[in-house]
Amino acid sequence: MNRGIALKAAREALGVTIAFAIAAMVFEGLLAAILPVVPEQITEQWLQIGFVQKIFQGLLGTKVGNLTTSTALTAIAWVHPMVLTIFWAHAITQCTQIPAGEIDHGTIDLLGSLPVSRLGLFTSTFLVWLLDGVVLVIAAMAGHLIGQQFAPHADRSGWAELAPVLVNLYVLYAAVCGLAALSSVASDRRGRAVAAVFGVLIGMYVLNFLAQLWEPARSVSFLSVLYYYRPLDVLREGVWPARDLIVLGAAGAVTWVVAAVVFSRRDIRTV
Amino acid sequence: MRAARLHSLPGGQATPVSIIETEKLTKRYGRRVGVEALDLRVGEGTVHGFLGPNGSGKTTTIRLLLGLMRSSAGRAKIFGRDCWRDAHVIKREVGYLPGDLRLYSWLTGRSALRLFSTIRKRDIRRQGAQLAEEFELELNVRARFMSRGMRQKLGLILALAHEPRLLVLDEPTTALDPIMQDRLNGRLRRMSAAGHTVFFSSHTLSEVEQLCDRVAILREGRLITDEALDDLRARARREVIIRWQPDHEPAPGVAPAFLTLVDAQKGEWRCTLSGNADRLVQWLADRPVGDVSIGRPDLETIFRDYYSRMEAL
Repeated sequence: MNRGIALKAAREALGVTIAFAIAAMVFEGLLAAILPVVPEQITEQWLQIGFVQKIFQGLLGTKVGNLTTSTALTAIAWVHPMVLTIFWAHAITQCTQIPAGEIDHGTIDLLGSLPVSRLGLFTSTFLVWLLDGVVLVIAAMAGHLIGQQFAPHADRSGWAELAPVLVNLYVLYAAVCGLAALSSVASDRRGRAVAAVFGVLIGMYVLNFLAQLWEPARSVSFLSVLYYYRPLDVLREGVWPARDLIVLGAAGAVTWVVAAVVFSRRDIRTV
Repeated sequence: MRAARLHSLPGGQATPVSIIETEKLTKRYGRRVGVEALDLRVGEGTVHGFLGPNGSGKTTTIRLLLGLMRSSAGRAKIFGRDCWRDAHVIKREVGYLPGDLRLYSWLTGRSALRLFSTIRKRDIRRQGAQLAEEFELELNVRARFMSRGMRQKLGLILALAHEPRLLVLDEPTTALDPIMQDRLNGRLRRMSAAGHTVFFSSHTLSEVEQLCDRVAILREGRLITDEALDDLRARARREVIIRWQPDHEPAPGVAPAFLTLVDAQKGEWRCTLSGNADRLVQWLADRPVGDVSIGRPDLETIFRDYYSRMEAL
């Protein structure tokens, strides 16, 4: 761990993280404020249609049951594609910075002239990105709490109820960070690294969605990171999703270790 | 001429300390050869020029030395340490200026010195500020607003500020105006005199002539020469003009082998001299010479010959 490298990473991530944190806060706030107004219309009209029910099932990754409960509404706010997009886009933007982004910009030479081991460089930077994830989760939760103040629903969820979901979301973020880092160390071009990890995530999202609707997809749905992120189940059962946290944490750790090893051994050249 | 630092051996012998040492260093990119079986030694306290045409393997060698790339075969050492395995330890005492320097757009000279101080765990701000004064660089300008010359100056300051034992510079004077080039050359000479080692690649032959103690020339990834500049000078051709005393011009056929007659008219010979001038002076001593002028060794022709594969030497 090198403090200077961490400070550099933090300086570079500052603007992006603030922007994404505001986006997460605003969007989560809007969902928390608006969703409780919608349920009656949903139950009465939309959920009568089987296909729409399937869509919600796909979105939430589990059987919807009665969507009018505050639990289900809260869950929607945490699996909304926009929320996932904010977290994933931040992870991808940041975690493809080293080495692909630095090689792309040609700044890797300057970085490579410094007396920091590649592992030290990778670790120091990655820790900052992981901390940025904490900022995003806190911002999203803050937005959620603020949004709830404007909602008519009396049954509000606080830190205690949402803690398992927040940790689950954070570990999902960390797993995506690992994936993005792996893509980055395997590439000399940031665009390619971003495209590769984005493609994989879109594939996982589609797989998770299809798994609720199509039997063959269900049998391989465990390959998607979203298989291990089911806020509705977590909120319904009120227990910590230990298995999901372990799997996502392990996925993040393994991809990070592989990325660190590849980065430590690969050639760095800007031409 | 500065003497390379010597190491005393138990038997009383002295040997120059090698700061950079490569042995059969090879880098291949698939079928393409980057560097092939490079044996190079750079002594402490010397200024070692590293020349070669574009694509000859200079930057590849520098990247191998800095541990940015791993060799396909052979090995490279700096300060006796392996350049790949111990890269981060070596870089504590190495200053590096990349050939195509890119800086973070948000960086100012001042923030760069602060950041590098933290990363290097050594305060380089004062020394950096002195260098900025010497190179006339405004430290509060963001890199995104800097001209190429300003960025190059900042790169040099960051490479020099921690007073490294070894400086590796990839075409350092690119984008610098002549006055700044002179200041840099002066700084490098002072550093060399103080025992620092400078290893730099360049296309500017006059700069190499002014600065270097030794020159290594690469071509197509292979080292084709690595010798003292004085030895090169001794072998270089010089332009010689001999004016004979009136009516005493000898017949052109008497010219010795080391003197190639280019033109002879009106009692004046224009020739090229290969090698040392001593032989010419001796030969002229008992001849009716009115005047003689001997030009500077033409190193450029030697370099060009090396570059273009001509068998000139």
